[in-house]
Amino acid sequence: MKGNVIKYEQDNIDTDVILPGTYLKIHDYAELATHAMEGLDPDFHSKVKEGDFIVAGRNFGCGSSREHAPIALTHSGIKAVLALSFARIFYRNAVDGAFLLPIEIDEDAYKDISNGDELEINVATNEINNHTKNKKYPMKPFSEIIGKIIAAGGLFKFKP
Amino acid sequence: MSKTLFEKIWDSHLVLEEENGPSLLYIDRHLIHEVTSPQAFEGLRLNNRKVRRPDLTIATEDHNVPTSDRSLPIVDQVSSIQIKTLEKNCKNFGIQLFGINNPNQGIVHVIGPQLGITLPGSTIVCGDSHTSTQGAFGALAFGIGTSEVEHVLATQTIWMEKFKPFEIRVEGKRKNPFAVTAKDIILSIIKRIGTAGGAGTVIEYRGETISELSMEQRMTICNMSIEAGARAGLIAPDEKTFEYLRGKKYTPKNYEELVDEWRENLKTDSNAKFDKSFTLDAKNLAPQVSWGTNPAMVSDVTEKIPFPEEFAKDLSQQKGVEKALQYMDLKPGIPITDIYIDRVFIGSCTNARLEDLIAASKVVKGKKVSSKVRAMVVPGSQIVKKQAEDLGIDKIFIDANFEWRESGCSMCLGMNPDILGPGERCASTSNRNFEGRQGVGGRTHLVSPVMAAAAAIKGHFVDIREMDLN
Repeated sequence: MKGNVIKYEQDNIDTDVILPGTYLKIHDYAELATHAMEGLDPDFHSKVKEGDFIVAGRNFGCGSSREHAPIALTHSGIKAVLALSFARIFYRNAVDGAFLLPIEIDEDAYKDISNGDELEINVATNEINNHTKNKKYPMKPFSEIIGKIIAAGGLFKFKP
Repeated sequence: MSKTLFEKIWDSHLVLEEENGPSLLYIDRHLIHEVTSPQAFEGLRLNNRKVRRPDLTIATEDHNVPTSDRSLPIVDQVSSIQIKTLEKNCKNFGIQLFGINNPNQGIVHVIGPQLGITLPGSTIVCGDSHTSTQGAFGALAFGIGTSEVEHVLATQTIWMEKFKPFEIRVEGKRKNPFAVTAKDIILSIIKRIGTAGGAGTVIEYRGETISELSMEQRMTICNMSIEAGARAGLIAPDEKTFEYLRGKKYTPKNYEELVDEWRENLKTDSNAKFDKSFTLDAKNLAPQVSWGTNPAMVSDVTEKIPFPEEFAKDLSQQKGVEKALQYMDLKPGIPITDIYIDRVFIGSCTNARLEDLIAASKVVKGKKVSSKVRAMVVPGSQIVKKQAEDLGIDKIFIDANFEWRESGCSMCLGMNPDILGPGERCASTSNRNFEGRQGVGGRTHLVSPVMAAAAAIKGHFVDIREMDLN
C-alpha cells in the first residue's frame, strides 16, 4: 500500500472535527466525504488524493462512536491513519467496516515523517518505508482479532 | 479466584473465548437511535437478515429531534428523513420505539435507567459513546459503531478484546456537595489522568465519595468515562441502585429475587487485582470550568487561564494548549471568573436529569438571566420534563427568562437547530468542548448545572460557593 502523507501534528483529533455533528444526517458517503476533516482543515477535501495517508499524534479519533468519521475519511481516499495512538471506538470502527487501516507508530516515526512524504505500508512485515526520506519505521502489529477482521475484510466477513 | 466486578460481568456473558484471542460477548440490551442505526438496518436488508432479539432492542429518537414545539412538523428535511427511517425500521423489524411524540422519549442514556431497561450485572450496548452512563448501575455498558450495531442486531453478540480493569477511588468528604458536584469530580479526574488515561480499560469508580453520590450523580461520573478514553465506567450497585430501579416500567417481575442475587455477587472481591489505580481526594475540590478544547483542559473556578509554557514538559501538550486558547479566544493569566458568556445550555446525557434541574433551579430562583445571555434548559427526557413541571421547576426557569424546551440531545452536539453561532461562548453542562462541537466556531466551557445556572444570572463565571442563594 503506497501513498502520500497529510500530516496533522497534534494530539486528540476528535470525531467532531473529523466529521462535524451537523453532517451526521447525511447518508450519502460521497457527500459525507466532502465534509471530512472540515472542523480541523477546511482545505482537506480539495487537497486529499486517492490513496493518501493521514499522520497524527496521540488519541486520534477520540469522542463520539460515529462510524461516519472513518467512512468520511475512506470515501475521501484515505487508506490509512498513522497515529501515536487511537481512541478505541474509532479504531474498531475503522476495521469493522474495512474502511481504513489504523496504524500505531512510534515517536521517532511520527517526528520523522513530513507532510507530502511518500510512504509504503507493509502490513505483513509490520514495516513502513518512507520512499521520500529513504527510511524504514516499524508499525505496531495488529492484535489477533484486529488482524483477523482486517484480513477477512470487515466484521461481517470475519470468522473466528 | 478473586475477580473485579467487571470481570464477573464479562465472564458471565462470554459465549466464546479464545486464549489471547477475541471473545464473543452476549448482549442483554441493545439501545438504538436515529443517527447510528440506518446503515445497520440497511445491511440487514441487503443480507436478508432479521433482528435476532427485537424484544431486547429498544429505540428512541434523540440526537437530531428539534426541542421546540413538537406539534409542528420538522423543518429540517434531512433530519425528518432520518427520523422517519428509524420509525420505518422499527416497524419492519418489530422493535419498540419511543418516538418523538412518545411520553417516554428522551436521550437514550437517560431513558434506559428511567424505564428500568438498564439492570445491574447486564451488558448494554448502543451506537453512542456515552452509553458508559449506564455503568452507574453496575452494568457493563459501552458505545459501539454502526457495523457493530448491525452485528448486535443480527446476532445479539459482539466480538471484543477484553478490557482491562482500572480502579479510580474518590475519597474524602466534600465541604459543599451542592457546589462541588459529580461533574466537578469527573472533570477533575479527566484533568489528572488525561483524555487517553483510561484507553483500553473499564473504569470502576469506588470509595467513600462515590458511595455518597445519588444514582443520578453517579451517572454523570460514568457518562464522562469515555472522555478519559475508557469505553465504560462502572459503579458497584448498592441499595440506592436497587431503589432507583424498583417499580419502573420495565423492571422485571422477579426483581426482588434479582436484587438478592446482585447484592451477593455484583462487587469486586476484596483481593481482586486492577491493572491500574488512581485516587482523587475530593475534600478540597473546587467547582471546575473547562477553558480549552478537550475535557482535560480544566481549571478550578478560582484559577486563571494557564500559560501554555506551564505545559512545557510535554511539547505536544503545550502546542495543544496554545491552539486551544487561540480557538477559545482566551488570554493566559485572566481569571476564569472574568470570562463572559453569550449562551447557557443546561442539558445532555451528562446533566439533564431531575436532580440536575432541581439544583440549577435553586440557583436561578427569584433571579433573572443576564440581559446579555441566552439560556436554555433541555430536560433529558419527557419523563424528566414532566417530573420537573410537576414540581414547578419549569416556572422558576421561565420566570428567570430561561427557555424551557422539549427533551433531546440538543446543543450538546449541534445536530439539531440548537447550535452556537460562530464565536459564541457557552457555559454548557454537556460533555465535550471540542472545536465546533456545539456549532461551527462555537466556544464551549464545560461546567456543572449549578455553575451554568450561576453564569447565566451573572453573565460570567462565578464561584458558586460564594453566590448568595437566599
